[in-house]
Amino acid sequence: MIRVEERKLPQHEVSVERFFSVKRLYLLLSQHTGKPSKLLVNKGDSLEESSLIAEGDGLISSSLSSPVKGKIKDIVSFNHPVLKKDTAVVIDVDGCSPKVYSFNKKADFLKKEDLLSKVKHAGIVGMGGAAFPTHIKLSPPKRIDTLIVNGCECEPYLSCDYRLMVEKCEEIFKGVELVCRIVSPQRVIFAIEENKPEAIKKFNSVISTKKYSLPQQKLAILPSYYPQGGEKQLIYALTKRRVPLGGLPFDVGCLVHNVGTIFAIYEAVYYDKPLIERVVTFAGGALREPKNLLLKLGTTIAELFEEGILSFKEEPVKIVYGGPMMGIALKGLNYPIMKGTSGILFLTQKEVDLREESVCIRCARCVDACPMGLLPLEFVKKVKNEEYSSLEDFYIKDCIECGACSFTCPAKIPIVHYIKVGKKYAVSS
Amino acid sequence: MRLAVSVSPHIKAGYDTPWVMRQVIYALMPAFLASLYFFRQDALFVILNCIITCVATEEIISRIRKKPSPIKDGSAVLTGILLAFVLPPSIKWYGASLGAIFAILVGKHLFGGLGNNIFNPALVGRAFLMGAFPKMMTTWSEPFSLQVVTEATPLALRKFDHILTPISHLFLGNTSGCIGETSSLVLILGGIYLIVRKVADWRVPLSIIITSALISFVFYLVNPVNGSVLFHLFGGGLMLGAFFMATDPVTTPVSKKGRFVFGVCCGALIMVIRYFSGLPEGVMYSILFMNAFVPLIDRVFRPKSFGAMGTVRREKYEG
Repeated sequence: MIRVEERKLPQHEVSVERFFSVKRLYLLLSQHTGKPSKLLVNKGDSLEESSLIAEGDGLISSSLSSPVKGKIKDIVSFNHPVLKKDTAVVIDVDGCSPKVYSFNKKADFLKKEDLLSKVKHAGIVGMGGAAFPTHIKLSPPKRIDTLIVNGCECEPYLSCDYRLMVEKCEEIFKGVELVCRIVSPQRVIFAIEENKPEAIKKFNSVISTKKYSLPQQKLAILPSYYPQGGEKQLIYALTKRRVPLGGLPFDVGCLVHNVGTIFAIYEAVYYDKPLIERVVTFAGGALREPKNLLLKLGTTIAELFEEGILSFKEEPVKIVYGGPMMGIALKGLNYPIMKGTSGILFLTQKEVDLREESVCIRCARCVDACPMGLLPLEFVKKVKNEEYSSLEDFYIKDCIECGACSFTCPAKIPIVHYIKVGKKYAVSS
Repeated sequence: MRLAVSVSPHIKAGYDTPWVMRQVIYALMPAFLASLYFFRQDALFVILNCIITCVATEEIISRIRKKPSPIKDGSAVLTGILLAFVLPPSIKWYGASLGAIFAILVGKHLFGGLGNNIFNPALVGRAFLMGAFPKMMTTWSEPFSLQVVTEATPLALRKFDHILTPISHLFLGNTSGCIGETSSLVLILGGIYLIVRKVADWRVPLSIIITSALISFVFYLVNPVNGSVLFHLFGGGLMLGAFFMATDPVTTPVSKKGRFVFGVCCGALIMVIRYFSGLPEGVMYSILFMNAFVPLIDRVFRPKSFGAMGTVRREKYEG
């Protein structure tokens, strides 16, 4: 693992600001890992806030609800950061009074199955970035003994999880209580990196009051390394168990949930509120004022600039969807917020590294940096020589594409790029 | 708005390859100054000659190969300095130039240029000169006076005349020998700088030094005429080799375990050559020899991946 300059200020200390007065939403149907959701509505339909728009299709999929009251203007193909283009429901927002969600006390007595179906219906997915459907993670085929609440947020710049932990601490504990009722682990570990003192203080004080009925609970304060928040790294750091190659956390009795996901579960169960909004960090040197915004899913970045919520101090050279280590470079501002969007970064020339690739000098910094114990330089060499068949002998599938290798490379070799190419061919060969 | 689109990560460490090369050159500066102090203008001429010849050779070859000029990466300058450091101060100008040309042409570019060479280029240059001009390569000058005498190096005196040079002379550098190798003190200082700045891996020099020390200790116990531990560590090119030649990233293994193995084998070979061969010194040949084994070491000591070490077995949670 590596140390990376955090660059979390000033957004780390900026409270979450709500911006719901959008005019038009672009709701993509592939907001999660797995099959795209199946559309249930048509062009011209009127929608109520939180009414179902699309449902999960197949085993690994997720449903989608309308973030607002409005009317479907059209169903079009729209920009998707990963898929390039994807089907999007265009909703013209009806600007009248927003829906009020009331606290449902009866939720305390819901059975495990009812809790699960609420999570599934709400369309909750992992909000740390991978966007894997949460209801599947909550029904593991093996017994879970350890629940890990991931509040590491090891990506530089990002602060949405930290703000949530500071501002919604009690709610997160209630959410953890719900998860415990579903998977009944023997212990809960809250994992927070040491660079988040405010969150550590709050979590510590809540844990010491013992007012939530959790099994044995512990707050683990971890050193800020990248990628500490990676599922496999985190499990290893906390339990010394290694998720096997091709395995999943439940193979070692662990379940990891991001704090944002936990909060979404809380809202889905206690307020019957589907996942229709999330906190997104907007940061980077090109912004006049970095912010953490609570936004409706489908809000486009462009609209935030048109509305004057965000403004440029200087022109960015790169816009990144997600964190700077694993995020995706965007081609413009016309991209909508999705369930897994943790941040949008507007980076200046000074912040990004556009130096050209030179030759590998075998310095092995990538080998030392790799959290998965791989030989990144070998992947580069083999992909360049088109020796795809031997890639699997070097465990290319174990690579989590965290980017620690490329970060440390003095030759500025885009190692992750070569690995992605290699994975594609290693699979097809 | 013109936006750059490339694969993650979007932020990278500030250093680059030229920075790495510069750090090594900085680390060689104490030894450079020491060489000027002991061997005066002779040292300066050889060093300048090697640097200029290396850089010129690199530029010409790159033009012939129609590759972008690699001069900026600083590796040719570094090879020049390292080659000069392993040559006798009294070497003829054409000897040094030919060695430099050979180092860059054969040692580096015939293998495909920076990053692809199997052998340390500077040592390839020296090995060539040892074969081509053995007399020139074994004619030594006294420090300060620069008198070209047939006075042998401390290691040769030990081997052939059973005379042991005082440790303090070896440590400070007040002996005859190659331009940059005589003073262990300044080489250790430079080596520490490299390790602190994380440019060189401590595993290689440490394992070479410890292995050589252990072997020489045993031989010293058998017969003190074999030379003490410090005599062998500070004598000859051991420190220069351990800190600056064996740590060349291109020609050393990539895994941590592999680096230990590489260092231990280098250290053992050095002592074997010093004790049992017809040569007084073995640093160059041991490192070149071990360079050839790097692909094998990398293959055998490939680190196990995180996932491959994982087990589905679930340990019982206690606590």
